[in-house]
Amino acid sequence: MNVDSGLNLMAACYGAGALSALLARWSGRLALSVGHLATLAGAVVGLGVSLSVLLGVPGRTLTQPLPALFPFARLSLSVDGLSAYFLLVISLVAVAAAVYGPAYLRTYSPDAGPARQATQVLALNVFVGCMAFLCCAGDAMTFLLFWEGMTLASYVLVVSDDRDGENARAGLLYMVMAHGGTALLLVAFLVLTERAGAFDFAALRAAAGDLDGTTRTTLFFLALVGFGTKAGVVPLHVWLPRAHPAAPSHVSALMSGVMLKVAIYGLLRFAFDIIAPVAGPLPSSWGWTVLVVGTTSAVLGVLYALQQHDIKRLLAFHSVENIGIILIGVGLAMILWRREGVGGVLATVALTAALLHTLNHAAFKGLLFLGAGSVISRTHVRNMEELGGLARRMPWTAGLFLLGAIAISALPPLNGFVSEWLTFQALLGGAGRFHGPAGLVIVFSAAMLALTGGLAAACFAKAFGVTFLGRPRTAHAEHATEAPPSMIVGMAWLGALCVALGVAPGYAMRLLDAPTAGLLHGPGASAVVTARGPMVLSAGLTASGTAATAISMTMVTALLIALTAIAWVLRRGSRRGPPRAAPTWACGMSPTSRFDYTATAFAKPLRFVFATLYRPRREVIRETAGTPYVVRRIHYAGEVVDLAETQIYHRVQRGISSLSQSIRARSTGRIHGYIGFVLAALFVALLLFGVDQ
Amino acid sequence: MMTGERSLGLLLFEMTFLVLLGPLVTGIIQKIKARIQCRQGAGVLQPYRDLAKLFRKGTVQADTASGLFRLIPVLVLAATVAAGALIPVVRAGPPSFPLGDALLLLGLLALARFLTAVGALDAGGAFGGMGASREMTLAPLVEPVLMMVVFSTAVAAGTTELGALAAQRGTSWVLAWHAADFLGFAAMLVLLPAETGRIPVDNPDTHLELTMLHEGMLLEHSGPGLGCMLLASHTRQIVTLGLVSALFFPIGPANGADAAGLLLGVGAFAAKILVLASYLALVESSYAKLRLFRVPQFLGIGFVCALTALALRIL
Repeated sequence: MNVDSGLNLMAACYGAGALSALLARWSGRLALSVGHLATLAGAVVGLGVSLSVLLGVPGRTLTQPLPALFPFARLSLSVDGLSAYFLLVISLVAVAAAVYGPAYLRTYSPDAGPARQATQVLALNVFVGCMAFLCCAGDAMTFLLFWEGMTLASYVLVVSDDRDGENARAGLLYMVMAHGGTALLLVAFLVLTERAGAFDFAALRAAAGDLDGTTRTTLFFLALVGFGTKAGVVPLHVWLPRAHPAAPSHVSALMSGVMLKVAIYGLLRFAFDIIAPVAGPLPSSWGWTVLVVGTTSAVLGVLYALQQHDIKRLLAFHSVENIGIILIGVGLAMILWRREGVGGVLATVALTAALLHTLNHAAFKGLLFLGAGSVISRTHVRNMEELGGLARRMPWTAGLFLLGAIAISALPPLNGFVSEWLTFQALLGGAGRFHGPAGLVIVFSAAMLALTGGLAAACFAKAFGVTFLGRPRTAHAEHATEAPPSMIVGMAWLGALCVALGVAPGYAMRLLDAPTAGLLHGPGASAVVTARGPMVLSAGLTASGTAATAISMTMVTALLIALTAIAWVLRRGSRRGPPRAAPTWACGMSPTSRFDYTATAFAKPLRFVFATLYRPRREVIRETAGTPYVVRRIHYAGEVVDLAETQIYHRVQRGISSLSQSIRARSTGRIHGYIGFVLAALFVALLLFGVDQ
Repeated sequence: MMTGERSLGLLLFEMTFLVLLGPLVTGIIQKIKARIQCRQGAGVLQPYRDLAKLFRKGTVQADTASGLFRLIPVLVLAATVAAGALIPVVRAGPPSFPLGDALLLLGLLALARFLTAVGALDAGGAFGGMGASREMTLAPLVEPVLMMVVFSTAVAAGTTELGALAAQRGTSWVLAWHAADFLGFAAMLVLLPAETGRIPVDNPDTHLELTMLHEGMLLEHSGPGLGCMLLASHTRQIVTLGLVSALFFPIGPANGADAAGLLLGVGAFAAKILVLASYLALVESSYAKLRLFRVPQFLGIGFVCALTALALRIL
C-alpha cells in the first residue's frame, strides 16, 4: 500500500467517524454503527500502512508535510519502523474494539440518549485517530498536539458514562495527572526546540548532539516522569485503576492495551532516537532507573491486582504490572546498548522482548477487557463476588477469557510466555556479563519477574474461577445470557492473535526487524532471535560465541496437542455413557452458592503473606444477644491500601491543603492588596530576568 | 546429527519412560515410609493398581460444573507429560531439534497447576476453593526460588536448556562443586517437598481440610478423570526429581547411542531418582506438617540459599 495515500485515507476514516456523530440528530444507533464502522476502516487502513512499512524496504522513512497551521512550526508526519510497529499495535486492538463497540454500548446502556452516543462516537474516533497519528508524528509540535488530543478524548470517554460521581472524580484525577505529565514533556521538548530553532525531530536530534551530560540526563528524567505518568508506572499509577474501569469496556481495552503503549513509544523515541548521545552508550543512570522502576511496577501492580474484587479494576492494575515488564526490557536495552564487551546483540534481545510484550499485552489485555465487558453488559455488575457460574451461561466469553488469563499469566503455549521468556533470556545474559552489584540487581529483577508471573497466575485463577465458575451468587449472574455474535467476534480476533503469537512467534519477529534495527542501529530482531529459522527462538549468542538456549514453541504446542489427544482417549475410560451428575460434596449438607469460595477468601492467604505491603485494615463488629456466646450478626469490613496513595499522594494533598489555607489567610478580598502583589511580583521578575536586556 | 545430541525418538522414549516410572517412585516412597513407621505397607506397585482401577470406573460429576471440568484432567496430564519431554534422562546433550528449556518446563508445570486450580473452583465447593487458594498462594513463592536455582546453574553454563546444561556440567561431580552448587542444592532440598506436594508443606495422604492443598483440589474428580490427575501428580513428582538430577548430578554415559549405553543411562537415572525419593520419604517420616502460614518462612530458607548461590556465581 502506498503509505502517503494510506495516511490520507486513515485521516479521512477517523475524520468521517468523528463527523458521523452528527447523524445522532436523526438516530443515535445509526451514529454508533457508522462511527464504529469508520473506526474499523481506519484501523484496517492503519494495519495496511504499518505492514507495508514493516515488511517493506528496511530503513526507509516516509515523511509527509501537513498543512501549515502555525506560523512558527511546520507540522509533518514521518513513518519509520518504530512508528509503524506502534501503529500496528494500535490498529490491531482498534479493529477488535470497533467490531465489539456498537453491540456493547447498545446492550450496556440501552437507554442512553443520542447526545451521549454522539459524544462517545466522536471521542472514540478522535481518541484512536490521535493515537495512530501520534506515532507517525514527525516533529515535536505534531507529537504534542496529538498527545493532548488523545488525553482529552480519553477523558471525555472516561466521564461519558456519568451515572455516578465516581466516574467524574476518576476523570478529574486522570486529567490532573495527565497534564502534570504533559507539562514535564513540554519542558523537555521546548528546551530542545529552543536550541534547535525548529520543531522537527531531525533538527532536535542535531541539537541534542551537543548537549552536555547533565542537561541530557535532566531532559531524560523529565521525559521519563512525563511518559511514566501516562504509562502508569508506580508510583505515578494512581489515576490508572480509577480511570480505566470507568470508561466503556472497549475503550478500557484501548486505554489499557494501547494508550499506555503510546507512552512507551514516546519514551523509546525520546531516549533512543532524539537525545541519545551520538556515539557511545546511554548514561548508565537511565537504564538502571528504568529497570528498577519497571521491576517495582511489575511486582506492586500484580500484588495490588490480587486484592481487587472489581474485575475491571483488577485488569487495570495488571496493566501497571505489564508496563513494568515492558520497562524491564527497555531498561535492559538501555543498559546494554553500545556497551563494549557487554552488550552486543543482547540489547537487541532485550528491546525485542519489550516490543513483543507491548504487542502481546495489547492482545491479551484487550481480550480480557472485552471479556469483562461482555460480563458487565449482561449482568451490570463489576464486583466478582456477585457473579459466578457464568461459564455455563456464557461459554464463548468464558473460554476466550480463560485464553486471555492463560496468556497474561505468562503460561505456555500462549504469547505472554514468549515475551517473558525473551525477557528472562536477556536478563540472564546480562547477569552473566555484569559482575558485582550490577549483576545482582539484574538477577534480582529476574527473580521478581518470576514472582510476578506466579502471582499473576494466582490472580487470574481467582478472577476466572470466581467470575465464571461455581454457582451464580446473585440473580444478575443467574439470568445472564451469551453476548451477541459481534462482541464474540471482536474477542475472538484478539484471542486468535494470542494463540498465533504464542504458537508461531518466529513469524512475528520480521515485524520487529525495522524498529529494533532502526533504534539500535544494529542487527534486526529476526537476525538475532530467529537465527535458526522461524520455528526456533534463541537468545542470540553467548559471550563465548556458542549458540545460546533455543526453544521451539511450535514443536512444544504440537507435542501438547498430541498428548492431549492421547490423554483424552485415556480420560474416556473403558465405560461408555455420559457421566452421572451429583451434587458437589459439602460434608452431607445441601450446597448453596454461599459455599463457594469468594474472591476475598481466595486472596486471603496472600494478603497475610504480603501484609507489610498491603497494610490490610479489618473491622469485625459482632452483635451478641446478651452473652458473648450467642452471636446475632457479624459485620465484616476489610480493605487494602495502596501504599503509593497513602504514603505519597495523601501527604502531597495535605501539603497543598495547608498551603492553600495559609494563602487564604492572606487573601483579604480587597483589590488593592492583589494589585500590590501583582506589582511586587512584576518588579521581582524584572529585577531577575530583565536586567541584561 | 551432531554427536551428543539427542534425537526426537530418544526424547519421546525418555518422556514415556518418565511417565511409566512415575507411579513406581510414589510406590517406593510409600513403602519406605511404611517401613520407617514399622508397617508392612502396600506393595510398590500399588499406585499402578490404583490407576488401573480408576481408569475402569465410571464418572460422577458435580452438577454445577461447567463443560470445562471434563477437559481439565486431560489438559493437566498433557501439560505435565510435555514437561517430562524436556528432562534429559538417558544422557546429557541438547536435543537435535530445539524443544524447550528449563523455563518452558517450569511454565508447563505452572500451566498444569493453574488448570488444576481452575478445575477445583469449577465444582463450586468450599474444599476445592480452599485447596486452590492455598496452592496458588504457595506456587508464586516456590516458582521464583526454583527459577533462581535454575539461574544459578544456568549463569555458569550460559544456557537454560537442560540437556545442554547437563552436558556443560558433565564433568563436575560433587568434589568439583563450587559453594554455589551446594547452596543451590540446599535450596532445592527445601523446595522439593513443596513442589512434590509432601510434608512439611502438604500431606498427600489425607483430604483433611487442615492439611490439604493439592488433594483438596482433586476432591470432585472421579473415575478416569481422577486417574489422569493422579498420573499427572506422579509425573510431576518424577519430573521435579529429574530436574534436580539434571541440574546437580548430570552424570551418565556421554555417548550411549547403543543398547548398552541406553541401559546404563536408564540405570544411572533410576539410581539418582531412588536416592532423591528416599530423601523425600525420610523427610516425610520425620517431620510434621507445617501450619500454612509457617510455610512461607520455610520456603524463605530456600530463597536465601538460592539468592546466595546466585550472588556467589555473579560476584
